[in-house]
Amino acid sequence: MTADQPDEMASLAARLESKDADDRTAAAEKLAQAGEAAAPAAIPLVRACGDADERVREWAVAALEELGPPPDDVIATLATLATGSVPLAAYWAVTLLGRAGQAAAGTAGVLADCLASGDAAVAQRAAWALGKLGPAAAVAREQLRAAAQSADPRLARLAVEALAASGGA
Amino acid sequence: MADREDVAPAHPLPSAGSRLATPAFRAVLVAAVALVAVTGRGQQPAMPVAKPWDAVLICSFNIQVFGEAKMAKREVVEVLARVARKFDIVAIQEVRAKSDEVVPSFVRAVNADGSQYHYVIGPREGRTVSKEQYTFVYDTRRIEVDASSLGVVPNPSNALHRPPMHVRFRTRIQPAEMAFTFWLVDIHTDPDEVPSELQALSTVFQQMQALRPDEDDVIVLGDLNAGPPEFTAFKRIPGIGWAVSGTTTNTRRSKTYDNLIFSQPQTSEYLGTWGVFDLQNAFGLPLEKALEVSDHNPVWAAFYPAEHRGQSAGFMAAQPATVR
Repeated sequence: MTADQPDEMASLAARLESKDADDRTAAAEKLAQAGEAAAPAAIPLVRACGDADERVREWAVAALEELGPPPDDVIATLATLATGSVPLAAYWAVTLLGRAGQAAAGTAGVLADCLASGDAAVAQRAAWALGKLGPAAAVAREQLRAAAQSADPRLARLAVEALAASGGA
Repeated sequence: MADREDVAPAHPLPSAGSRLATPAFRAVLVAAVALVAVTGRGQQPAMPVAKPWDAVLICSFNIQVFGEAKMAKREVVEVLARVARKFDIVAIQEVRAKSDEVVPSFVRAVNADGSQYHYVIGPREGRTVSKEQYTFVYDTRRIEVDASSLGVVPNPSNALHRPPMHVRFRTRIQPAEMAFTFWLVDIHTDPDEVPSELQALSTVFQQMQALRPDEDDVIVLGDLNAGPPEFTAFKRIPGIGWAVSGTTTNTRRSKTYDNLIFSQPQTSEYLGTWGVFDLQNAFGLPLEKALEVSDHNPVWAAFYPAEHRGQSAGFMAAQPATVR
């Protein structure tokens, strides 16, 4: 059997908290093999991006790449993680908020704050995510206009695109 | 694990323009296909039985999180090694390890049966601390590398999460003065920014075509996170074509993500033969075991090993003196 049953997903998500790094690695690997079925484990996987073990982090990232949009009921937690101190976890929290699109409309303010992240990848991803929110990103226009003037060409381009998507180009 | 090595009928290159194979070249092409085609199995293309003398087999394989944890699994490494031995060149995506020993260790496993493979590898790339490397593993008995050609595509506007690695190869199956030479451009796109990355990649393709006046064969291959319907930017390039179409390429058989893209007029060495090497079918693996190998199946295409100087005006691909 592949790891795509809800009970197994919950079990694997719990194992990401194991004290045994090998066990955490195995759990993250199974979740990465589950594809979109791993979506219920989105929060533990984002947290696993801060794991001390490289293998856990890499498999968690692989799982996050494949799991598609997050469930609506984890969006508030993702917003909290988006402003956390671990850049890789913040990056993936922001990415999942972007994938959620309109369902994450209420997090536009958080994403606007992320535009000022000291981590370039997080800031760029926040601009991308705001672009996915569409008109809901209107509350972030001021920050987006500032980002659109950034010396970082990717951040500037994504901010311009997000402004356009918000209706405020 | 059983290795059934089934082969399906040849598949034509999906056409954004016309095929340019001449009747004579088609005859060689048919011979090559006959050599490799043994049994058909539905519509699923599979894989040649053995490396033919008149075809070079180029493969793309995303080996999910190809790192130390995967290399620690002996059965998985054995499957990966057996896959690699089937092909002349394997363009690999997703080498993810801080250690530099993963790919050398893998090549040693490939060569454990007396094979003579070698590799070239690119730098770690990615916008976050989670980096990936591209690598090409190739059969030195049939392929050589232009050592001066290794590089990473410039990415000044940061449009590509993992800028592709390019290497120029030459077949050794034919005399050097007529051997097929070509660029391979290995890519793993960001699944969250596919349209903009494919747009940038189509520009890269054209830049690679212009990079050397003596080389017009450019093959972009890898995990595109997109199938042919999404190749909008590429479709604007006259004569563009791709090998894989109408089937899935991931291990779960639900998505078409992997492909080889090239110009049909320029790369008329393409034999029209391609396949998805289905890990489950090829090795008799249940899905769970196949997923331990990778979430992608390898995809491949066959090319004639000598330069085809038929109908491409200004064709001047072979400059063997520059290939080491």
